[in-house]
Amino acid sequence: MSQASAARLVAERPVPTDPRPWSFPSFDRYDVAGSRVVAAHLPGKPLAVVSLVVDAGAIAEPRGKEGVALLLAATLAEGTRDRDAYSLAVAAERLGASWRADVDWESLRCGFEVPVGDVRAATELLAETVRDAALADDAIERVRSERLDDLSIDMSQPGARASMEFAKQLFAEDSRYSRPDGGVVDTVAGLTPDDVRAFHAGRVGPAGATLVVAGDLTDVDVRELGRIVFEGWSGAESSPVSTTATAHPAGSRVVLVDRPGSVQSMLYVGHEAPARRTPDYVAMTTMALALGGMFNSRLNYRLREDKGYTYGAFGGFDCRRDGGVFVARAAVQSEVTAPALTTLVNELTLMREAGLTADELEHARNYRAGIFPINFAGPGAVASGLGDLVVHGHPDDHFDRLRADILAVGLDAVNQAAADRLHTDRLLCVVVGDAASIGDELRATGIGSVEVVNDGG
Amino acid sequence: MPTLPHYPFTLHTLDNGLRLVVSEDHLAPVVAVNVWYDVGSRHETPGRTGFAHLFEHLMFQGSRNVGRNDHFGLISAAGGTLNGTTWCDRTNYYETVPAHHLETALWLEADRMGGLLDALDQQNLDNQREVVKNEKRQTRDNQPYGRWLELLHEHGFPQGHPYQHSTIGSMADLDAASLEDARAFYATWYAPDNAVLSVVGDVDPAAVLDAAQRYFGGIPAKGSFPEPPPSDAPPVIGTEVRMHVPDRVPLPRTFIGYRCPPFGTPDFDAVEMLSTVLGGGRGSRLYKALVLDRPLLQPPDGNVLSAWPFVGGASLLIADLPAREGVDPAELEAAYHEVAASIAEGVTEAELERARALVTSDWLHHLATVEGRADTFSQFTTLFDDPGLVNDMLPRVLAVTADDVMRVAREVVREDNRVVLVFEPEPALDDEAAA
Repeated sequence: MSQASAARLVAERPVPTDPRPWSFPSFDRYDVAGSRVVAAHLPGKPLAVVSLVVDAGAIAEPRGKEGVALLLAATLAEGTRDRDAYSLAVAAERLGASWRADVDWESLRCGFEVPVGDVRAATELLAETVRDAALADDAIERVRSERLDDLSIDMSQPGARASMEFAKQLFAEDSRYSRPDGGVVDTVAGLTPDDVRAFHAGRVGPAGATLVVAGDLTDVDVRELGRIVFEGWSGAESSPVSTTATAHPAGSRVVLVDRPGSVQSMLYVGHEAPARRTPDYVAMTTMALALGGMFNSRLNYRLREDKGYTYGAFGGFDCRRDGGVFVARAAVQSEVTAPALTTLVNELTLMREAGLTADELEHARNYRAGIFPINFAGPGAVASGLGDLVVHGHPDDHFDRLRADILAVGLDAVNQAAADRLHTDRLLCVVVGDAASIGDELRATGIGSVEVVNDGG
Repeated sequence: MPTLPHYPFTLHTLDNGLRLVVSEDHLAPVVAVNVWYDVGSRHETPGRTGFAHLFEHLMFQGSRNVGRNDHFGLISAAGGTLNGTTWCDRTNYYETVPAHHLETALWLEADRMGGLLDALDQQNLDNQREVVKNEKRQTRDNQPYGRWLELLHEHGFPQGHPYQHSTIGSMADLDAASLEDARAFYATWYAPDNAVLSVVGDVDPAAVLDAAQRYFGGIPAKGSFPEPPPSDAPPVIGTEVRMHVPDRVPLPRTFIGYRCPPFGTPDFDAVEMLSTVLGGGRGSRLYKALVLDRPLLQPPDGNVLSAWPFVGGASLLIADLPAREGVDPAELEAAYHEVAASIAEGVTEAELERARALVTSDWLHHLATVEGRADTFSQFTTLFDDPGLVNDMLPRVLAVTADDVMRVAREVVREDNRVVLVFEPEPALDDEAAA
């Protein structure tokens, strides 16, 4: 008998004790100088986050200027009227504050995480950075060329390459969603300093901005932070924007992006999806969690744990304020590209036709509801959640209500969502891999027509 | 300087040698459970590279009382997260769960600590071997620049040094791994007296100790463990190692690795401060010179320079230098060396203040979550037998002086102590693009 099996172990799985109650951290909304501040008090946290959420996301970009929002975000830190980029960086870093500026479809978000004692000083720097941004020609031109280098690196990575091709093939040419939220080489290369300054002037102002604060606010005057950012700021009157326009092709098809010499193939399979406000949002996303959003999801179980084709397979909805996508993805060993794609498509079809089991639903519900206190543990996550409330116009009790809705969603609703929201009759299957070795096999799967495109896009 | 938090903890050693660290934090109803085993890739022997990591995968395939998919299944159904990782100096396993599921996590960890072999079979091994090979393909072989860390390890440490091979191992060794190898590995390393269990969160320490006794107390101690292969290394490499690596990449990118003192020594603390002054953040010397003043360096996602914490004889200080389009990597490298050399000539108090503030924030961020804190308690207890370093490590780094920084700069940032890897686009790629 080996030593290990001599262990005395408790055979019965423990029974959990009673759950302790949790709710999303309470927060307050303030009107300050005609603008909005949202602040959550997180007692005992040594770090705080102060962030400006601006209605200047990628969907607000003018046609042909795709990427200008991210270029603006990246250029903000390059100096103000009074300070050059280096002085600005040192001023923040001497507080222990690191600058973050990101763009998603709906918003531009920028700010600092900082030891809570210096949250006021960091807010002053945030206000200066956003309001008094220098946006000088040479800085914009340098950051634009850095962005172009970033994009060429992205194109060499199978995942980013697949994502870009998926968007390009799925959405109509005139939809903003046909290009990544950071733009593409052609559009970024054409951006001028005037474009960046015009976007700043047109979209970044007190009317379209909300200041989000998350941290231990015991010694923090939140209204004062709001005044620092908003008082005396006259700027853009942002107007609502709209996008989408998806291509709805008939039938499924395969787009094979040739990447010679690849030892794996990157699979991106999916279609368009409804916007965040869809009434069956909870049902469809809970279904998607069981399909591809957890380690024990069907996709990961089948492609990784059962077949060993991949290090991981995932799938889910990206529901935006306007429209969205469903994508299932996996990087698979080249030799098994065709069987892996067939297996993946079969799992989607099975889910659409037969739905979840009651056990799978219970598992997904419990996971998704249980994870809230873990996901919202820190100031960064809480600030991000508050930013989402702002962007989507959710009510104050949104997260607690969402959690209750998840726990209440039933099998009929979830399986109806699988039938309604998975379109296995018109899948777009993007494969990034070595076309010479996998092309014929992909044609033989019968999933759909196979179009080969050059790696360079 | 912000007031630094003091994290309370208790340390108990069970009769079987398992060290238990418990730290209360009642801010949220969650708890992190974290186990470090004192075995990593540095304990592997030639022909068995990648084994510690492959074995980590097998730890998720069920054990005596836990079904094959139940580890992930039970934790996710509890509303928790989990994973495991392998690195040169350790293998760790961790769960974060709502606090009322604490005992589920302890039970799962105990069952695989004491009863893995009851479930380990050829099918699990064969499946996870394929998963790991795909992990290697996905994260290294099929990624631009994917081989950089492997090459720095290979050339930054002496022949036969246990850090010379990568944690992921070689395809040939992975293929050769047998079920017997796996059983022997477990019998050699997986035991309570080679492990640290940390529990951080909304818990009562007395109840945690009681539960730990119940779940882990019946697992016998092993008593002794093989010494890892000798890890002594001369303080410097002795010569510059320079490699040109043609790869499927769009732009040149240079990685420079310096051998440096091991993690846990005061000199490593000084190297950490050096890396922040020189290459941490937008206000660092390197960022200013190579990004803001002259457009030579593509701003990397992380820091330009970072100190990697290894305990076995030597660590690495690593510079990541992606060249801008059209910039000759030789020009970038020359400019880099000029700035890097300047540190030995002097460091200002203002530079140190900036670096101290950044190091402090990074550390507070790292310890902000219960899972980050649990992992750090396990780390310091495993590597240095001192969980109190969770509170004491940062003050130690903050006490580093300008003289310390200049001294380690002279000792580490030297031409005869660096591995220079220059990744350059393969000519074939350009030909294809033109065709």
